[in-house]
Amino acid sequence: MSGEEFLGYHRPDGSIGIRNHLLVLSIAGLTIPTARRIASALSGAVMVGMPYNHGSLLGADRATWRRSLMRLPNHPNVGAVLLIGDSPPLMAEVAAEVERSKRPFAALTMDDCGHDAVTLTERGIRAGARLAMQVSTFRRAPAPLSALCLGLECGRSDPSSGLVSNPLLGRMADRLVDAGGRAIIGETVEWLGAEHLLERRAATPAVAAAIHDAVRRREETAVSNGLDLTGNNPGPTNIAAGLSSIEEKALGNIAKSGSRPIQGVLAYGEAAGGPGCWVMDAPAYASESLTGFTVAGAQLMLFTTGVGNSFVSSMAPTLKVSANPVTCAKIGEQLDLDASAVFLGREAPEVAADRLWQRMLAVASGDATWGEVLGEGDEVVARYGPAM
Amino acid sequence: MEAPMVDAIRLSPEDGVATVLRPVGRGERIRVGCGEAVSALEAIQDVPLCHKIALQAISPGDRIFKYGEAIGEATSAIRPGEHVHIHNLRSLRARAK
Repeated sequence: MSGEEFLGYHRPDGSIGIRNHLLVLSIAGLTIPTARRIASALSGAVMVGMPYNHGSLLGADRATWRRSLMRLPNHPNVGAVLLIGDSPPLMAEVAAEVERSKRPFAALTMDDCGHDAVTLTERGIRAGARLAMQVSTFRRAPAPLSALCLGLECGRSDPSSGLVSNPLLGRMADRLVDAGGRAIIGETVEWLGAEHLLERRAATPAVAAAIHDAVRRREETAVSNGLDLTGNNPGPTNIAAGLSSIEEKALGNIAKSGSRPIQGVLAYGEAAGGPGCWVMDAPAYASESLTGFTVAGAQLMLFTTGVGNSFVSSMAPTLKVSANPVTCAKIGEQLDLDASAVFLGREAPEVAADRLWQRMLAVASGDATWGEVLGEGDEVVARYGPAM
Repeated sequence: MEAPMVDAIRLSPEDGVATVLRPVGRGERIRVGCGEAVSALEAIQDVPLCHKIALQAISPGDRIFKYGEAIGEATSAIRPGEHVHIHNLRSLRARAK
């Protein structure tokens, strides 16, 4: 295996995963507890719940929810899927989508089980156990870096994030983009005050205009809701750590995206349409933001923190990076890269970048992240407006 | 915590503030790095780790620069060596007209 490859799972639909999950997906809110019970009986299974009723959502929520529902079970890191739900017609739609990707799956609804959660649990465990056996037969094989899509996140940021950690992620984004891969940043509100720098990197004038419009919409939403961003974003934790304004936070934030041209503005969960660096117009809270990248198909996340942020994606391994020396000394078992020596001026940024790149490729080939070991993962699909 | 190579960092020559790389106490003389250049500054207030210190006098309403970009405006007169944060800097964005 050369340095420019990793070992991944080649899926029948052509995508390449870096994990081989048995995903237990509850496609409805009512069956989440049953799905959780089933997943807890199946060693290593990942449970994701879609908390809402498919018929009740409107507008952007309906589009987001549907995109998430159809894309999550076909995520590259998923080897097989157990679908659990409460609506046979919706289940048929999701099952057809999974069938197209040729992944092994089983689908069970409450309706098929006489509306009995205990029966659904029993059948779910049996079906899930068979899928787990199938998943265990899949093997890793060499894969090109161009198959990777990287989600770039920051949370509980402090000024060390903008000084050191986020620029490190930017180097990873550039390196992956140069190898033909994809990189995505989101958190639109955290472009305020730095959008001119993103616009300058837009691949076309239309992309620059789309970046500008996405920022203007967020800013107008804050103003029309009477929201003072200071205290909201930056939040109280950011402020205590030394960030004073959204501009200061944003200028640090966008460093995660590196320096390559920006190919387009993605809707929440929308897949990047080609190689390169992309921006996603999405909420800034880490749980929602990461799931936007997961739905888009990112197999791997890089996540910087200032004071500490335990949250990771449950479907895509998430490497945590910090450069704050106090944080690095305190939570070593939650940080996949300690960049505090760069902060202190005792390590060159390019040396730390090499360490992170090697760590990232090792994780892509199967090494665990702290977030995986500690089980800090979840997926949270964003919700915006009222429902029926 | 290991000592940093300099006490504070100015990210761009246009910047009116530097970020302290260790907690700084009132009355301390600190070394501020900007690229290869290092200058001296007296802290006239305590400045916590990662927070900002003024490098020059800033008048109320003046833009405050970090990364060579505006991060907000001064809401009061700021003296060199003073702690710069939400008590004397406010965002220019998402403000009602």
